Amino acid sequence: MTAPSLKKTDLPPPIDLVIDAEGIINQFGSNCVHDNLDFKLERGKIVALVGGSGTGKTVLLHTLIMLRQANAGSLKLFGVDTSSASTPLRQSLRERIGVLFQGGALFTSLTVLENVLLPIKEHGHFDPHWLNDLGISKILLAGLPAESAHKLPMELSGGMVKRAALARALALDPELLVLDEPTSGLDPIGAAAFDDLVRTLSDSLGLTVLQVTHDLDSIWRGVDEVAFLGRKKVLAVGTAAELAAREEPELQAYFRGARSQAFWLAAQQEKHHSHAASPSFPSETS
Amino acid sequence: MTTAAETIIPSTATPQVRWLHDEHMGVQQNAVLLLSGDWTIRSLHHVPKVDTPVKEGTKPRIILRSEMTAFDGSAALVLARWIRQWRAAGLMVDLSQFPSRETGLLTLLDERLVDSIPSPIHKPSLLARLGEVAVDQWHEAKSFLSFLGELVWRGFPLLLAFWRIRWRAVLAEIEAAGVRALGIVGLLSFMIGMVMAYQGGATLQNYGANVLIVDLVGIITLREMGPLLAAIIVAGRTGSSYTAQLGTMRITEEIDALRAIGVPPFEILIFPKVLALIITLPLLSIFSDLMGLLGGAVVANYGFGVSFSVYFDRMPEAVSLTTLWLGLLKTPVFAIVIALIGCMQGLRVRGSAAEVGHATTVSVVQAIFMVIVIDALFSVLYNVMGY
Repeated sequence: MTAPSLKKTDLPPPIDLVIDAEGIINQFGSNCVHDNLDFKLERGKIVALVGGSGTGKTVLLHTLIMLRQANAGSLKLFGVDTSSASTPLRQSLRERIGVLFQGGALFTSLTVLENVLLPIKEHGHFDPHWLNDLGISKILLAGLPAESAHKLPMELSGGMVKRAALARALALDPELLVLDEPTSGLDPIGAAAFDDLVRTLSDSLGLTVLQVTHDLDSIWRGVDEVAFLGRKKVLAVGTAAELAAREEPELQAYFRGARSQAFWLAAQQEKHHSHAASPSFPSETS
Repeated sequence: MTTAAETIIPSTATPQVRWLHDEHMGVQQNAVLLLSGDWTIRSLHHVPKVDTPVKEGTKPRIILRSEMTAFDGSAALVLARWIRQWRAAGLMVDLSQFPSRETGLLTLLDERLVDSIPSPIHKPSLLARLGEVAVDQWHEAKSFLSFLGELVWRGFPLLLAFWRIRWRAVLAEIEAAGVRALGIVGLLSFMIGMVMAYQGGATLQNYGANVLIVDLVGIITLREMGPLLAAIIVAGRTGSSYTAQLGTMRITEEIDALRAIGVPPFEILIFPKVLALIITLPLLSIFSDLMGLLGGAVVANYGFGVSFSVYFDRMPEAVSLTTLWLGLLKTPVFAIVIALIGCMQGLRVRGSAAEVGHATTVSVVQAIFMVIVIDALFSVLYNVMGY
């Protein structure tokens, strides 16, 4: 009587790897950014991609969402090998990925609603009578008030631009959400609220989330796992506390440095209520 | 598994809704709504119609059940709207038999949905738009005047303290606006000179007054065509580039950065441009005059039997030096107007990349418009003065 449990796709075996990249090499001239890099992303996880400046986070992100062709290596998205995929197949893969670019990349001459409806009109085949309502529902899901639907991007604040861009990234109900520094430029409260929002959406929409971030709050508290880029590879994957406990000097510097100290201490004394080490983290706003 | 595209792009099953027979008749009136098929943004081409099963005087409890093969946030919107309608009609909606993740999605949407969709800001009426345009033009004129005032107010002290002028920037602007425009100004002037000689010559030939081609081409070129043509080309070429440059700099906050560093944008950006055009445009006009006369000479020689030597011998008799000066006198005014409009439109850009394009168009249209208006005013002025 009860319905069978729902799957997002009709694929025969349940695929648990949304991204499966092996042996990725990215080179700019003689400058090698990624050398034989492996990266795997499990369905349903929220993973942060971190690393120092110039370690090729954005390059890797662009590679993983097929905006850049790696010089070598294989990339499987949703179990499909992208190198042998036909153009329409690659297009259909792209439609299953929602991307939030660093600056928002909203189309400046379109209103927020038009921005959100653009991918839907282009690729979706949704009932035209419902389109406006649908677009507004995405805007509301991203945490913007409905009144902002008819505003132009230039009339929005920085935080609202991020949310509007998130609404557009969510437009086609993607399975994978890719966020490039989603909380950069937001105040700490807004950033925490954004993290919560991403978590809520991930839970209820079944999204897998990959985000590049420098936000220590997000890295320590907002994500399931952290993938650390260093030595031209994904050096380590795990929770921030796990990575902080490791020996590699890069990881030590990143997770035990002055700015991470408070989080590191808090993680160590997690069970005890440590007042001094706990940085302010308002999580009730959303 | 990664081979055939068909297995990867899921074939979508049509979303369907169906009322089931009531299974709990007697206890309470229930209506079971069964959803089946794919409920996604890609499959909901037409949202199915659902009649609310309200019979006279009854208020059934609606139980949702799912045999759906896919369900996403967009489909959840449709369902959330239905549930709202039913609840608004006083019906109970029972989600206990609905899968939990989907119920969570419905709840999330329901928390956030608003009942009234804001409508876009309605377009104003024709009369209101007319008024808007008039007011805009008035403001445009005022801001041009205040910009002109600023140029005088801040430019003259700068002229006196000439060592503070950024000569390097001025020279670069002269090269871009003048030297690089020589080709196109020369070619176009030459061709306009030819056209004038042809058109005038054809009529003069009827009276055997071929030699008057020299007067015709000389006067029109020196007084009007040379300066006007140079100004219009500069307005299209250089004025627009000023607007685009300053507009982009505004969007990237470079102008604010200059201010913050303590370098007045007027000194480094606007004044060199105005100065450069004041120097360049008269020189370009002279070049344009020269090429126009040459174009006339070629046609006069080959088309109407006025040889080169006759043409250039007669030229000083036909046109006085005053004619040349009357033409050149206008060009610094053109230069100021073109540079100011270009800079003003650029500095007024706000917000988006599309604005830069719009401002550039406005700048070129305004500059050419103003050049022709000023040219006409000069003609009237010269006439009154008796030249």
